[in-house]
Amino acid sequence: MDASLLTQMLIGALLGLSVYLPLRCGQLSLATPGFYAIGGTLAALLSTRVNALGGSEATYPIHSVLLEMALAALLCGLLAVGVGALVLRLRGVYLAIATIALVEILRVSTLNQDALGGAVGIFGIPQPFNEPGGYAVFTLLLLAGTCWLCDRLERNRLGRAMAAIRDDELAAACQGIDTERTKLVAFVLSAVVAGLVGVISAHFLNSWNARLGNFDASITTLAFVVFGGSRTWAGPVLGGLVLTALPELLRPIGDLRLIVFGLVILVGPLLLPQGLINPALINWIQRRLGSRWLLPSDQGGAP
Amino acid sequence: MSDLIQLLLNGLSTGAVYALFALGYTLVFSVLGVINFAHGAVFTLGAYFTFFLIGGAAGANGLLAGFQLPVALPFALALPLAGLASAAVALGIERIAFRPLREHGADPLLALITSLGAGVVLVNLIQLLVGAESYAIPTSAMRDLPAAIRLWGGQVRTVQLVLLGVAAVLLVALSLWIDGSRSGKALRAVAEDATTAQLLGIPSGRMIQIAFGLSGFLAGIAGGLVGLSVSIAGPYFGIGYGLKGLGVLVLGGLGSISGAVLGGLIIGLAEACVPAELSGYRDVVAYGFLFVVLLLRPQGLLGKVLPTKV
Repeated sequence: MDASLLTQMLIGALLGLSVYLPLRCGQLSLATPGFYAIGGTLAALLSTRVNALGGSEATYPIHSVLLEMALAALLCGLLAVGVGALVLRLRGVYLAIATIALVEILRVSTLNQDALGGAVGIFGIPQPFNEPGGYAVFTLLLLAGTCWLCDRLERNRLGRAMAAIRDDELAAACQGIDTERTKLVAFVLSAVVAGLVGVISAHFLNSWNARLGNFDASITTLAFVVFGGSRTWAGPVLGGLVLTALPELLRPIGDLRLIVFGLVILVGPLLLPQGLINPALINWIQRRLGSRWLLPSDQGGAP
Repeated sequence: MSDLIQLLLNGLSTGAVYALFALGYTLVFSVLGVINFAHGAVFTLGAYFTFFLIGGAAGANGLLAGFQLPVALPFALALPLAGLASAAVALGIERIAFRPLREHGADPLLALITSLGAGVVLVNLIQLLVGAESYAIPTSAMRDLPAAIRLWGGQVRTVQLVLLGVAAVLLVALSLWIDGSRSGKALRAVAEDATTAQLLGIPSGRMIQIAFGLSGFLAGIAGGLVGLSVSIAGPYFGIGYGLKGLGVLVLGGLGSISGAVLGGLIIGLAEACVPAELSGYRDVVAYGFLFVVLLLRPQGLLGKVLPTKV
């Protein structure tokens, strides 16, 4: 497998985790591509500007990428706090539609601001790595870190509060859980992850335009989670890896590949309503391994 | 004065299309509580059906290159037929993407994904068959109608009047049916509570099919009308309308028929009032409205507040 497909798959897995985080407390947010686009646009603007100032070095310094990531995390986090405070009062399909609207507003605004790349986009984003393998390793490290964070969130106090809100928000509030704050934390984490991935993606893709953060991306990333399963972080990771690879692996069948992709997300939920990593599979693995590898055992049961 | 008339007419005809679109969402949402993301693809199909029924020929880029139906119907006949064909497609989508989930009692969220999968398949099938190029339904399809008429001292495109007239007739007919007829009442009963309606002897499954059929019919008609008044800008052109339809839906209130119409007209008129130098931002108007409404009045302009569970 070549390293650039692997990087794309890892990026898909990270975006899946970004959708999964709010879903852990029952919030269906489709805002991930919006924050992804903010990270990407920020990285594209900063790195092309810096390169123009400092003369073109052979490779873009990695510490500059890390700085961009810090800025993207800060920007996305702040925006998520502001937006989240407004939209997290909404539930279910209302929240989904509000976040679609947020993504569209960001996209159309970028499209109309030439300073942000406009309709053409930003080209010639400098490369921190000469080999695609560098991106794969870098993205893998970020994925590992995010998985570790999500794993902690399935075991610690905050994570249990999230699960309680998903199962019954009212009951959770009655037990003294600050539901507003918990939901906001999940939303902000989701935004930060998406922003960080956007930075990597911009360098990896070498060019950036507003279309990378559109409605299609909202649905594709949601499909990662639904396809992989939303009971544990392994689900969105697997969904992101598989569904990102699928259109590429299907490339030999040419024009049919998007039709097959559509069929997969049409038929997948019918065959596996709880995703690939579903409670039955988790229970089976836990019985075989006798470990707490995937989930604390008290969460494996009820759907 | 004539400028104002033109502005109003532009706004109203765009708004009428949004209203038809949002009504399709509303019909399905009210009975199932989910959004049918394949709706935009059905709208797109309606436009292509109309194009072929009036005798249009496919371009050179698809599998069906140069394909042409042996008939060339007048627009007034082609449009309802395209609507019926779209209704049949919507029924197929219900059968494949919605019914199996319902029968298994799966998470309603999954229907978002399956319907989107159906939409992706349809849009890409269109692209495979007739290519990605844009098609225009010629205004000569309207046969004897003139291209423009004089109205209050200004030139008005007949197409827009046709669009407005057809949409108005459909909207009135639909609300009369829902409010007045026995089957309309049955639909409302299912919307209120499908299980109770079933216990009372209303065939819920059949009413859900009717909702899908009607929503497909409305989407197909809207697609044909937009194809005539603007053009068919390729297989993906329904998606933008589909997203704005969501904005209209929330603005008016999810599940409210009159709300969908009011929301459509408000957003259509508001978009028409965007000055030319800001036209790039026209697409944001609907979402801006949506945000304000969600924050100030989450149930929508004409929606009902449902008591929350305690």
